[in-house]
Amino acid sequence: MIAEIEALASAALSRIAAAANLDEMEAVRVEVLGRKGTLAEFGKLMGKLSASERVDAGKALNGAKTSLEAAFDIKKTAFESAALNERLQSEWLDLTIPPPGLTPGSLHPLTQIQNEIESLFFSMGFTILDGPEVETEFHNFDALNIPADHPARDMQDTFWLEGGHLLRTHTSPVQVRGMMRLGPPLRMIAPGRVFRNEEVDPSHEHTFYQLEGMMVDRDVSIANLLYFMKTLLSGIFKRDTTVRLRPGFFPFVEPGFELDIECMVCGGAGCPVCKQSGWVELLPCGLVHPNVLRAGGIDPAEFGGFAFGLGLTRLVMMRYLIDDIRWLQSGDLRFLKQF
Amino acid sequence: MKFSYQWLSELVEDLDIDAKEVSRRITLHTAESEGVEPHGALWAGACPATVLSAEPIPNSHNVKAEVETAAYGRKTVACGAPNCRSGLRTVYVPLGVKKVSGIDSDGMLASMAELGINADHDGIIELTEDIALETDSIIEIDNKSLTHRPDLWGHYGMARELAAILNKPLVDPVSLELLPQGPPQVEVIVEDLALCPRFSAQLFENVTVGDAPVWLQYRLRAIGLNSIGNIVDVTNWLLAELPQPTHAYDADKVQGAIVVRKAKAGEKILALNGEEYSLTIDDLIIADSSGPIGIAGVIGGKGSSIGPETKRIILEAANFNAAAVRKTSSRLKLRTDASMRFEKAQDPENTLRAIARGAELFELVSPGIRSLGGPTDVRAAVKPLPVIDLDFDWLNRKLGRVVEKSEVIGILERLSFTVQGNKVTVPSWRATKDVSIADDLVEEIGRMVGYATIAPIAPAMPVVPPPVNEERLFFNRLRASATQQGFDEVYNYSFISEAQAAKLGISLEAHIRVLNPIASDQSLMRTTLLHGALKNFEDNRRHFGTFRFFEIGKEIHKKSKGLPEEVPHLVAGVYNGHGDGAEGLRELERLMRGYAPACEFRPTDTAHPFEHPLRSAEVWLAAEQIGRLFEFHPNWVEGRAAVLDIDLDKLARLSAGAIRYQPIRRFPASEFDLSILTEPRVPAGTVEAILRAAATTATEKIEFIRDFTLPDGHRSLSFRATVANRERTMTQEEINAERERMIAAISAAGMKLR
Repeated sequence: MIAEIEALASAALSRIAAAANLDEMEAVRVEVLGRKGTLAEFGKLMGKLSASERVDAGKALNGAKTSLEAAFDIKKTAFESAALNERLQSEWLDLTIPPPGLTPGSLHPLTQIQNEIESLFFSMGFTILDGPEVETEFHNFDALNIPADHPARDMQDTFWLEGGHLLRTHTSPVQVRGMMRLGPPLRMIAPGRVFRNEEVDPSHEHTFYQLEGMMVDRDVSIANLLYFMKTLLSGIFKRDTTVRLRPGFFPFVEPGFELDIECMVCGGAGCPVCKQSGWVELLPCGLVHPNVLRAGGIDPAEFGGFAFGLGLTRLVMMRYLIDDIRWLQSGDLRFLKQF
Repeated sequence: MKFSYQWLSELVEDLDIDAKEVSRRITLHTAESEGVEPHGALWAGACPATVLSAEPIPNSHNVKAEVETAAYGRKTVACGAPNCRSGLRTVYVPLGVKKVSGIDSDGMLASMAELGINADHDGIIELTEDIALETDSIIEIDNKSLTHRPDLWGHYGMARELAAILNKPLVDPVSLELLPQGPPQVEVIVEDLALCPRFSAQLFENVTVGDAPVWLQYRLRAIGLNSIGNIVDVTNWLLAELPQPTHAYDADKVQGAIVVRKAKAGEKILALNGEEYSLTIDDLIIADSSGPIGIAGVIGGKGSSIGPETKRIILEAANFNAAAVRKTSSRLKLRTDASMRFEKAQDPENTLRAIARGAELFELVSPGIRSLGGPTDVRAAVKPLPVIDLDFDWLNRKLGRVVEKSEVIGILERLSFTVQGNKVTVPSWRATKDVSIADDLVEEIGRMVGYATIAPIAPAMPVVPPPVNEERLFFNRLRASATQQGFDEVYNYSFISEAQAAKLGISLEAHIRVLNPIASDQSLMRTTLLHGALKNFEDNRRHFGTFRFFEIGKEIHKKSKGLPEEVPHLVAGVYNGHGDGAEGLRELERLMRGYAPACEFRPTDTAHPFEHPLRSAEVWLAAEQIGRLFEFHPNWVEGRAAVLDIDLDKLARLSAGAIRYQPIRRFPASEFDLSILTEPRVPAGTVEAILRAAATTATEKIEFIRDFTLPDGHRSLSFRATVANRERTMTQEEINAERERMIAAISAAGMKLR
């Protein structure tokens, strides 16, 4: 009987080895190892054997079963991995084809610059304020030390509206609103849309964006202003910048400055961008005029401050080398999708 | 304002830096220079020459001229001037040999225009005596940076700055001892000394009117003024030098006394520029008994102007109120060299200086001229010069560096301030508007020591977190979400045209009007961002078949009083050139639901004419309408243009509020579906609202599943209700009861289950 078991096992092993697929092998398994399979038949015959024969036959039977199951498992795993491999090999996908569906839209470059600069200022403790686009003559001019009939009003060609109001010509009116709201000491910026009555051409717009900045505290000096501007501009341009101040006239500051930065194209040696001067005019600034502090409800004997105006539109044009300002408000997606 | 380097070098002793360096120093210490340009460049190497012969060149308008030059011997040049003739004494300019009209032309003969003397380009210069002028350099200073400096509108003022910067002596071109002496000869009545604080006038006789000498013409031309004639050119010289605007009248054309008065309403004057101006009672004029002979501080009248026959002149040197001059000049849209100076508030102390200098110059340009008597000088009471208390320590604290007291005093004195102890007296030409407080002196010291000498110092600032601008954060979240869903951000203008307003059917009266628009198509302030969206659709559909955009901007609405209301809005658009348009509207709904999951879209049967009649809905949130969703009518935009327009003030207010966590339910929920048959075009939202109204708190959720339209137009709408009890598992009876309530409500609404 042992010999028969061994012969059966050997034949079954050969058939397993020869099986071409999982189904053929499964047929062998059912035939040999199944509940009604041939090995089970041997099991039924065991009772007729003597006790000693039964032990040997039992061993043979178990040995055959174990080796057959092991052979089945190995072969089965081989079949499965071959099948998996076959599936994977059939699943080539062209990953260079762009995915269907939406591509994200773009933020307007002015929004991007504004966000960047706002977070820079926020990190330095500045509050971000908003002000109205339609302003009173008081906030846009009088409170900023520009009385009626002051020729400085000609410096900013103004859009006048019905009802005696105007479109703010700069973000500076937020200085007074900010001082009133926050009280000294204070640090604030006010970015926003401003308007000038100017003919539009590649470098002039009647609608553009500025950022007003102001710091009021005890004993604020020109040296502080210089330090702050240098730090700020290094943050904006992400490199060390050299700045210089020269006299500039703005009625709401005294003294008033034009701040130039060393030309980043030529490093100060002189080139067409800086008109051979080595410097590029960047922003107006100055120490806050006592009259403006007073208009904001702050005592100039106790507090002083500095203020500056940053041209966001100009900054955008510098950063992206945009040669025509009119693109910014064109609503043309061929332009806007680039950002 | 143009400054002549030659002129400046006459007023600053030993000026030893070149024009480019002058330009740089002025920029760093005084005002912005826009650069240096040569004037009369041809004078480099030019010399007198005599034309020996002038032969016509066949087939050319030029002649072949042989000339004997003073410096280069005999030359042959081609010359196109009609006055090029044998024997003419003219100016030769060496330019090298060039082929002109077939001959080798060696250099050129120059016209007055080419030589920078005047605008005469009709022929080459004809010399009666040899002249040699030097090439000048013109430094152009930005007018805006001189707004506060009345004194810098002339060469003497700029020379004072330069002398102070370089620490060189300043040369005063005026000798007051040349002021004519004697009894006043001109009767002057000033009616309002506030508007005309000073009026000085001097009579001259034995005048010869003619061309100004070449040196005078050349100087005026260099700074952009045209030569008119010897007398008028002198007045322009005074304006450009001192800088006192003056005017010369033909004394024999002035009838009676000169009166400085307000104009009568409708009074007219024919001005020197040939224009007639109609005046108002706000305009100050100079008049004689016949009427206006000048608009004060702006322009003289034609009737009393200098002519070839003029024999006697009155030189006026007056001072006028800056604001009044500015008002008249802006109303008349007439900005003259005089008005530009007066509106900066000129120094009243300058008038007699101008007359003294004028008398001196008249003698040079009109030999034989004589002053008659002395000047008439009518003036308001002399204002004392302002005295400023200067705390030297405070000054250093403001600067952020130490400047020694002696250096401070030195600088102030070089700028003609006088210093006694802590008292600083302001010179009259800085006192009219410019310098009045100690902060003004900080600027004087700072700019003169040079801001480059101030080292940056970190400000001592308290470390406090700044308040957060919630609105901006909110807008940025909206932006981020929109861009993630494929929308590109646009910025549109705040101005619209009347046609644009009409296109959306908004009455013109609803808009705030711009009183001085740049163009008539930008005369109104937008009351909706839809105008921009329309334009964005129109412009971009030419380049893209499908696109999405959004704008966050302000609507500007009229209010009965106070500032207008500025309401931030978001407008988003989706365009599809083809298709049924549903997807665009769906995308916008998705965008909106992302902003406010609780929002509702309520169909409206009152679509605007510009809306698709069956595709518009109000957007509601928490029982308030916050916006509108619609498709543009194809007559407004070709193709499918879907728009969402949201009031962001309302959205921000209604979507604020803290999120509160709901514990996760522990007992299972049950679901049941209801398919409801409705009349045609009954919106799912209406049915859902009926179901919701019928539901008790046991209903957790009612979801729309699907719809389809029957051939007869009736709709089948399927919803799935989820019901649950937080405390226990619901019984079948309870579930059925909830279902029956909903079915009853549906029946009550005249619908039935399918």
